[in-house]
Amino acid sequence: MPRLSRRPLLALGAAAALAPALPALAQEEPRRAERWADLRGLVFGDRPMEDAGDALAITAPPRALDAAAVPVSIALAPELAAGLRSLSLIIDENPSPLAAVFRPGAAVPLRHVSTRIRVDAYTFLHAVAEAADGRLLMTRRFIKAAGGCSAPMSSDLRAARERMGRARLVLPEGAPAADRPVPAEVALSHPNTSGLQIDQVTRLSIPAEFVRQFRISYRGQPVLEVEGDISIAENPTFGFHLAGEPGGELLLEAEDNKERRFTGRWTLQPAG
Amino acid sequence: MDRPMLCTAAGGSGGLLRALPHRRGVLLGLVGAALAPGARAPDAEEADGCVEVAPGLWVLPGRIEEASPANLNAIANTGFIAGRDATAVIDPGGSLPHGRHLRRAIEARNLPPVRHLVLTHMHPDHVMGAAAFADLRPEVIGHARLPEALAQRGAFYAAALRDQIGPAAEGSAPLAPTRLVQNTAELDLGGRVLLLRAHPPAHTDNDLTLLDHATGTLWLADLLFVDHIPTLDGDLGGWLRVLEGLRSDAARQAVPGHGPPVVPWPGAAEPERDYLAALRDDTRRAIRAGTGLAEAPGRVAVTQAARWRLRELHHGRNVSAAYRQLEWE
Repeated sequence: MPRLSRRPLLALGAAAALAPALPALAQEEPRRAERWADLRGLVFGDRPMEDAGDALAITAPPRALDAAAVPVSIALAPELAAGLRSLSLIIDENPSPLAAVFRPGAAVPLRHVSTRIRVDAYTFLHAVAEAADGRLLMTRRFIKAAGGCSAPMSSDLRAARERMGRARLVLPEGAPAADRPVPAEVALSHPNTSGLQIDQVTRLSIPAEFVRQFRISYRGQPVLEVEGDISIAENPTFGFHLAGEPGGELLLEAEDNKERRFTGRWTLQPAG
Repeated sequence: MDRPMLCTAAGGSGGLLRALPHRRGVLLGLVGAALAPGARAPDAEEADGCVEVAPGLWVLPGRIEEASPANLNAIANTGFIAGRDATAVIDPGGSLPHGRHLRRAIEARNLPPVRHLVLTHMHPDHVMGAAAFADLRPEVIGHARLPEALAQRGAFYAAALRDQIGPAAEGSAPLAPTRLVQNTAELDLGGRVLLLRAHPPAHTDNDLTLLDHATGTLWLADLLFVDHIPTLDGDLGGWLRVLEGLRSDAARQAVPGHGPPVVPWPGAAEPERDYLAALRDDTRRAIRAGTGLAEAPGRVAVTQAARWRLRELHHGRNVSAAYRQLEWE
């Protein structure tokens, strides 16, 4: 049976999607705590959760310059990265809060991931790691959204649609070696929009188009799998560390909610 | 053209007046307070804050500030153009109170009825005052891409305005466009024909400009920033191209979206062009050097940003927007 366009990972109903939780000022600690309790229950049920301490750290600008693409990275301590089952990124105040779930391949421990997210309002970011032994470890960080005309969606959506499917790979420090993991960033051009049912002013209906799954592998070994959502910025971009002998093929496979499939392939020539 | 007495004003030059602090304390409610009649210098600010930059063409300059409860989001230049039969509002303002102020300014001048509302682009500081004109049922003119842009962002902008200016945001809203411009169109106000042009993505992807042939005035809205740092929400390369094309227009002056009510054309575009070109070139260099999106805003075109007001609010975002476009070149 053909699947209809899947709903975002965790949308809190249509009303929430059209009216993000606002006002979102700083003195709202009890409401924020309650919201996190709700979200946590929805995603993880009643499983116990511990403070991750130094094992997990989120890096994000305290004030988002560009609400449409806030760079976020998460670092994991070696003990946690070893055998990590999954890492979830939750943007509490977004209409679809569960932004991404990262699942590392078996070959290389996931010490770091980065991406770019949309931010609708002043919000906590929560990162929750499921360790090898099944424990849930959590850390959080507060960020302020940008003001003015900085909206969580980009302006020139048409350009993103026309480019859809192009993939990029950036290796700022060159190709990896067996004993030398290097930073890598993979991106797919895609509008990644939530869509709108019917806009009250213009009566326009805009379909949701977003990438829901990314699989990145190197030399045939899975490196990283990401379940994505509309809180990931346009042209979804993921950074991670890549290790292995040079000369292999890095493969990106992605699929969006319209069941379009995209691939990117790069042969990583050794440096020099 | 007959001018009611309250259009006479305190004299001085538009340029000097821009430098005075709190000159827009008159923003709310002082429209009826006529000053003593006297000789009015051209381009002088009138009692209600409006400046007649060309016969029958008024600009209500916005403050170079971030939106706040004190300024009611009256931060963009808005205004109106009167012909023999009709008046067109060019950007109805950033909030319902701002739009109402503009409407009172029009009514106080005994101008022909407001029949047209031109929305130069989607940004809330330009369109949220439209609700003040809803009962007049004007034709609402915008770029062909404006409806989609408003649909995508309207709810976010409405919520953001409540955050920025508080309860005064109540009732603020754009009006749905009823006439879309694909390439060019004419707007006839009676003995005065305005040329409307829809541009490819530049400041935003729905920029619309007006050319008033009669007075050689180009209403550029946010395609032109003066003093206030340009803000990029469309296409950087596209903006530079559009700007280049507009330079050859037969206009002697332009109305920027932010900055003085009127500036000489095309000379006043040079600082903006220099900034945008530096933003483009320096961002390209950063991408080539492997500088990430997180680090680029603190490193790119920092010197060129220094001369602009409100750079601390917008320059980092401009770098981010430029980066996200240029990395796909």
